[in-house]
Parts: sequence; structure tokens; C-alpha cells
Amino acid sequence: MLMIILIFGFCYPLTGYGQWKMFEHRYEYKPGDVLQTSRFVEKNGYWEGYRDDKLAGYVFLSQDWTKKLIGYSGKHMETLIGMDTSGIITGVKVIFHSEPIVLIGLKEKNFLDFLDQYPGKDIRQDLTVGKGISLDAITGATVTAVVQNAIILRSARKVASHTGLIEYVKGTKRRISEKFTELSWNELISSEAIKNIKVTTGELGIEGKDIYIDLYFGIVTVPSIGRNVLGEKLFKATINRLKKGESAIFIASNGKASFKGSGFARGGIFERFSIEQQDRGYAFKDSDYNILTDIKAEDAPSIKEGGLFIVRGNDFESYSPFKFNLVLPYRMGGKKEFKSFSVEYQIPDRFLEK
Amino acid sequence: MSDKKSHKFNRRNFLKFAGVAGLATGAGVMLPKDALLARSEKSSKGKKMSFDVPPGQLDDYYGFWSGGHTGEIRIIGVPSMREIHRIPVFNRECGSGWGITNESKKLLRGKDAGDTHHVHGSYVDGMYDGKYLFVNDKLNNRVARIRIDYMEVDRILEVPNIQGAHGLFPQRYPKTDWVVVNSEFQTPVPNDASNSKAFNNPQEYYGMHTIIDAERMAVVCQIQVDENCDLAATDYKGKYSMCTSYNIEKGVTISEMLASDFDYLIVFNWKRIRAALAAGKYKTINGVKVLDGRMGKSDLNIRIPVPKNPHGVNISPDGKYAVVCGKVSPTTTVVELDRLDDAFAGKIKPEDCIVAQPYIGLGPLHTTFDGRGNAITSVFIDSTNVKWNIAKAIEAEKKGEEAKKKNPHIVDVLDIHYQVGHIMATMAETKGADGKWLVSLNKISKDRFLNVGPLKPENDQLSDITGEKLRHVHDSPTYIEPHDCIMVRRDIIEPLVKHRYDMFEHPLAVTKNSVKRKGKNVTVRMTANAPIFGLQEVKVKKGDKVTLIVTNHDEIVDLSNGVAISNYNINFVLGPQQTKSVTFTADKPGVFWIYCTNFCHALHLEMRMRFIVEV
Repeated sequence: MLMIILIFGFCYPLTGYGQWKMFEHRYEYKPGDVLQTSRFVEKNGYWEGYRDDKLAGYVFLSQDWTKKLIGYSGKHMETLIGMDTSGIITGVKVIFHSEPIVLIGLKEKNFLDFLDQYPGKDIRQDLTVGKGISLDAITGATVTAVVQNAIILRSARKVASHTGLIEYVKGTKRRISEKFTELSWNELISSEAIKNIKVTTGELGIEGKDIYIDLYFGIVTVPSIGRNVLGEKLFKATINRLKKGESAIFIASNGKASFKGSGFARGGIFERFSIEQQDRGYAFKDSDYNILTDIKAEDAPSIKEGGLFIVRGNDFESYSPFKFNLVLPYRMGGKKEFKSFSVEYQIPDRFLEK
Repeated sequence: MSDKKSHKFNRRNFLKFAGVAGLATGAGVMLPKDALLARSEKSSKGKKMSFDVPPGQLDDYYGFWSGGHTGEIRIIGVPSMREIHRIPVFNRECGSGWGITNESKKLLRGKDAGDTHHVHGSYVDGMYDGKYLFVNDKLNNRVARIRIDYMEVDRILEVPNIQGAHGLFPQRYPKTDWVVVNSEFQTPVPNDASNSKAFNNPQEYYGMHTIIDAERMAVVCQIQVDENCDLAATDYKGKYSMCTSYNIEKGVTISEMLASDFDYLIVFNWKRIRAALAAGKYKTINGVKVLDGRMGKSDLNIRIPVPKNPHGVNISPDGKYAVVCGKVSPTTTVVELDRLDDAFAGKIKPEDCIVAQPYIGLGPLHTTFDGRGNAITSVFIDSTNVKWNIAKAIEAEKKGEEAKKKNPHIVDVLDIHYQVGHIMATMAETKGADGKWLVSLNKISKDRFLNVGPLKPENDQLSDITGEKLRHVHDSPTYIEPHDCIMVRRDIIEPLVKHRYDMFEHPLAVTKNSVKRKGKNVTVRMTANAPIFGLQEVKVKKGDKVTLIVTNHDEIVDLSNGVAISNYNINFVLGPQQTKSVTFTADKPGVFWIYCTNFCHALHLEMRMRFIVEV
């Protein structure tokens, strides 16, 4: 059995954040906890596990690979992950987190139960909360679940890519064309500069044939997309806000459901959507966000909800394909369910330089 | 009490204007038929503009409203007319802790009552630049500056030598280097024991036109005049500022103030003021350079006679005209600004700058503009908003009295409810006046809202002005008593407003919790990070002078923390990354809970700590 140390801090005046320890959960670990082998060889950022002198898999700590992914608490959930040589997860163990799950009536065991569904999963699969990963064990802790899922899969994919288990072909760098063409909303959609996710209540198995969500998104750093969608002024202001290597997308929707959700109000993180490119994932925080209330392009519908989101960091390749992931909660009877959707996006060739 | 012997005013020429006004009143109002049937059903542009802003959508304009004797500024979303925020300025405000914290007390200097009338924004080339707001305090004669990025007062200037700091206007061109403020009440100068012989001699009471450096927030100079200085305006070329005066009589009673049948629009020449300052032609009174602008003693200003007891002066967005409202005359006076140079040069008489004096209605107070050549004037006694065409008024003036009698300039008359004071259209005080919405700030709501007792709200009425007729669409109650407002396009302001404070802009920002004692002075430095204060208890001794400095370390947008000390009358709020401090004497022994007042977290109620005052 594993020894679990749950640190429960008491306050000492003048010790600063002493009280925060109450929310912190730290556990002891060893590589063997997540990969059944006897011998480990430490490498840079991971362990190789050997069974009878044969490489059996890898064990790694998430903070070495995806430290920037932070949960509701604003802190990274440090996770020990094991993976065999075919890319199947062999074990997952959270070794530190301060997610305030206790606030929503959950116990630490619920969190551990959530993690129990990962062993046996293939990292090449499309696994998101609502698709292959169930939120049942920690219903309500959506941000925690979404971020924890991203931590496990992205860390694993990064290690897999690093060790040659899977190979990502780096996109050929292409410049975005600065040439501006005036395009209507419908022209932007038909040229696939703007992509759409449309879900009816019928498709979710709930009553009626209402639009549950009719969502549009696209990269706005392309002048022929951004200037048409945002108008001259907001387009310029958006471009001016970007640091080197950053990009920006817009999302706008109509329908009953909200892509923004409300997790960002207190947690600062948008838990219902993210983008993914090869082994890299990008979640969005409130500091990456500006409200968008109307679309300037001709023929554009009025929108119920919209936002401009900056893709932070400098490793996002706006010229390469990426996936837009959306997780939508809905109620089936009294029960909260989740369904996720993914759409591939690539800037149309005409907006990239030859 | 009137002393008008010295003015060089051509009475016959004046009557050319004033006389017509009297005639119009006497003869009754001859309005075009369609103007009387003005309650139009829809805008002539076809699609109706809606004031309804659906959930999740945002308003098109930031409305900045003064708060009158609440001493604050309010931010109203236009066209929904929802109150979005209040900026405490000259008042004590427990919601934010203004007047309670050391930072705000340093600005208020013991005066936490005020009377704000006119809010205006800083300009670059006749358009708002989104940097500052300025507002007057008529009560304690101050001018405050609000930085728009935090929507918070950053400077308060006490203006010496004046009372009734009223009309305020920033320089519009090339940018706001100067702000002018007028003193509505004449007083002795200086008004202290050294000048007590003037106390009982109103002839030695003076008005002041004060010029303030907008960046330094310091008085540049004051121009002393005999008259009182009521409302203020600046032109669009950076050449002039002006004020209306309704007490050229130096009266101290109503009847005295009403004695003369004309008063003035006084125009100040900035080039000459700069030259006089450079030449040292001033006296220093209470640390301020005071220039002599008195009648017959100065070339710094000219006096354009207007019908008695005028009120507002507003400049048309094309920069061509100043429109002065008659108040007790049913007319407005249109002054062509391009003629001012000739008047200052003595080539024409001041009254020759007047190009029209159209009939408007009983009690015209203020004028605003739609950017399409029309003016809309608030008419107090009639309780109307009157839309009129400036070019047509000038044309009729040229044609003569018969043409004028037909009131060809009047486009529409809208009844309002009731007794309008200021009036303002969207962007109307800029060269980008867009003629979309009009707000009539009515002083009396009477029966327009649920009866809330004897003290009733004001009634701000919104009208769509995109069509030929004014289309009244919405009433909104406002707590006493906004006087004036401006409405600024959202795209100008929104990108400049910050979500969080720059933590280290405050020199005392706390990063490490500590309690330090120096004799009887105890300094407590503490962080707040929902739902936890950085300290769980603080112990002091009875009689200690305690300074509590708190920094909110949350970065999340809209995550504020409150700090309240039970039974110590201390309460303030910290926005994300903000620091505030309070200093007080721990005079009551006991255990006092310090708690968070601003709902911050699921464990907000548990966000508290003990403040123990030992015997």
C-alpha cells in the first residue's frame, strides 16, 4: 500500500500564506507506483522502466512537461504518469494539488476515482472530458477535470514525441498574407476561414429540435479574416496587443448553451473549450480574453455570446492545422452530462503566402 | 446696484436682438404646424433604434454623469440607461472606502462633501482621448481629475480665491493642456481677514475665470472680472475660453441680480493671457497669479451682451458657433466664433459677433447638437426639448423680423417630464457628434415612477434623435442630482480601461505579511487572497496607532476583497492587485473581527481574522 501524507496546515501568525496549506494535498510517490517494473533508469525529465532488461515504458512528472497548465486553484496539479512503449497509459497518480474540490462536497477519493479511468487508455486516441473520459466521479469540478485530462495526455504525448514513440511532423512555416480582401460572413464560412459547430437539442437526446449551440470560430490574425470579422479598429487594437509569436482567435455563438460557461468568473479559466496542435494544447484564461459583442462582416448574424482569445506562448503555429475542442454540459433529466466536439481548422491556403 | 456706466455697449444694436425676443413672447408662439404635431412615432430613417440592450450585450456609449450634491460621478450605459458604476469623488463612500482610506483622505483633505456639476473628458484635436475626466466641486471649490484606466480620482485641486466653482471645460485643441473653471459666486479677493473692509461692499466682490494645468493639476492663473462666471466653454481651435455671466450687476439679492436687462458672454483670449503672464502682468494672491480682466482695464477678454441672466454656453461640433441660452429670455444667442478675432482687434463691436437670436421657448438653459446642423435646447419652464436648425435661424435673422416671426428654424418640440436642466446628445461636445441619442436631465420626476416618499428621483429621459423628430423612448430615475453628462462612444473608452491594478504603482504594495512596532506606532502589512487574509490575527495594545496596509493578490478579473474592522468604523474594498491603507487608534480593548465585505469566494464568510486590542 502507498503511504499517503495529507498535509493539513495550521495557522501561525506572521507566516504568510500558512492558511493556504489547508487546501494543499501532497502525496509521496515512487516511479513504480505507475509502471509495474523493478528497474528504473533516470533520464532527463523521465525514467525508463525495464523489465528483464527490456524497455517496458516510461514514467514522468507532469510539471516537467506541462507546468503551465493550471487548475481552478491557479496551481499546476503535479501528476506522476506511467506509459508503456506502445503509448498505453499504465498508471496515473496525483502527487500534489490544491483544487478546492472540498468546496463542492467532494472527497479526495472522488478525485482518485476520476484518475482511475486512465490506465489502459491509448494516448493517440482523442480523449477529452465527455469523449472517452467521464466526469462522473467529480461532477461539478469541471475545470479540475478538464485541466487534469490535459495535463495527463499532453505530458504523455510530449514524452512520446521526445522518445520517438510518436512522431509529429513540424509544419512548414508559412507567412500569413497581409493582403486584405473584403469578404462577407458567408464567404468567410464557405472559404473555411471560419468554422462552425452546430448542435441541436435532438442530437443530445434531449427534447425538441432547438439550436443548443451554433458556434463559429476562426483565426483573426489573418487580415482578411480578422478585419472582416472585427472591423478595422478592433482588428488593429487586437494585433497591437499581441506579443511576438502570439495569435488570436474569435469565438461567437448563438443558441441556448454557452461556450464561455461561468468557471472563468471565479477560477479565471475557460473550461469548455481549448485548442490543440500536435502535442501542444492551449487553454484560455480571463487575461487572454476580451468580450466580442458583434461581428462586422456583411451578412453576419447578431450573436448572443462572443469573445476574442489570445493564444499565448510562441509555439502555436497559426499556419498549421489545429483542433478546436468544445465540451458542452447539458441536463438529461436531472443529471448533468457532457458531450465534446472537435473541429479541425486550418487557415485557407489563399490567406497564406506561397 | 447696477454699475453699467463703463460699458461701451450699443443699446440699439442690442435691442435688435432682445426686442425680437420680447416680441415673440408677447405675441405667442408661432410654430410651424408640424412642429406642434411632433410626437413622432418612428424615426424617419426607417429602422427604429432600440434602447433595449439584451442580456450579454453591451451598451454603445459610456455615459459619464455628474452626481450633484452626492459629490460623485456615475457611469451610465447608453442607451440602456443602466447605472454601471459610481466613482466617488468629493464624497465619503463606504462601498469602496473612499474617504476612509489614507489614499483617499490625502486627496480629500478633510472635506468629504461636494457638489459635482460638469463632467468632461480630456481631448486631442476636438475628440476625447480617453485619458482623463475632470469635474468641478461647487461646494468646496475644487476640481478633480479621474484617470479613465482605473475610473478613479487621482488628483484633487483646491482652487483659491473663488466660490461656486461651476462651469468647467477642458481645452479641446490641440489637446487638453488647460482646463477652465468658473466661479459663479462673486467674493472679495482675497476673501480673508486681510481684506475685511470688502466684506460688506459687494462692489468689491469679483468673479474668476481660473485656468488649470491639466497634467500638473495646478492653477496656471486666474482672470479677475467684475461679473460672476457661470457656465464655461472652450472653442475647437485652442484660442478662446468663455463664460456666461448672469450677475453683471454685482447683486447680492435676486432682484439686484435681475436688475439689468442684459448680461454677458465673456470671451477670454488665450494668446493674450499667455502674453500677459509672460510679461508678468499679474498680482499673486494666495499663491496664484491673478490677471486683471475687469471692465475697461483689460484686453484679455471681451463682453458680448446677451439677454438678461443667460445660462448655458455650448459650442457647435463644427466649431463655428457658441450658443448661449437665455434662461429668462425665451431665446438663444448664436455667436459666430470666427468673428471674435475682429472683435478683439476692435474692428467690430463685441455684439457684432452675434448672428442670430432665435425664439426657442420659455426658459432655455442648455444646448446640444446632432452633428447635422441642428441644435437641441433644453427649455426649463416649458418642459420641452426644442430641436432647431442653426443655419435657418441665421438665415431668418438676416431676412428680418417678418421671417423670424415664422420661426422657420424650429424642427420639433418634445414635451418632457418635467423641468429639464442640462441636455446632451451622444458625442455632442466633440467634433464627432453623431446624432444618435439625446438625454434630457429632468429635475422633477413627479409622477413618473413609483412613489418613494417626499424626496423623489430625477428623471433622465432618452430620445432617439436619428430622425427629423425627437423620439422619446425611455425614462430612468436617477438619485439626486446629476446636472450634466457626456456620452462617449464605447470604442474610445473600452480599450483603455484596465481590469486590474498595476500592483507596484502603489509604493506600499504588500508582498510579505508583517507586523512591526515602533513605539506606539504599529504597522500591519497584509495580503488578501480570497478566501484568506495573509494574517490570522494581529495583536496590539490599547492606545496604539495602527496603520493597516492591505494588498489584494488576486489577479482574476472582478475578484475584489473587502476589509472591514468590526466596531472600528473601517471599511474599504480592494480591486485585483490593489493596495489601500488606513490609520487609526486602537482605542477599544477587545477582540474585533476583521472580515471580507466583498463576496469573493465560496468561503467568503470564513475570510476573517482577529484584531486583538490588549488592555
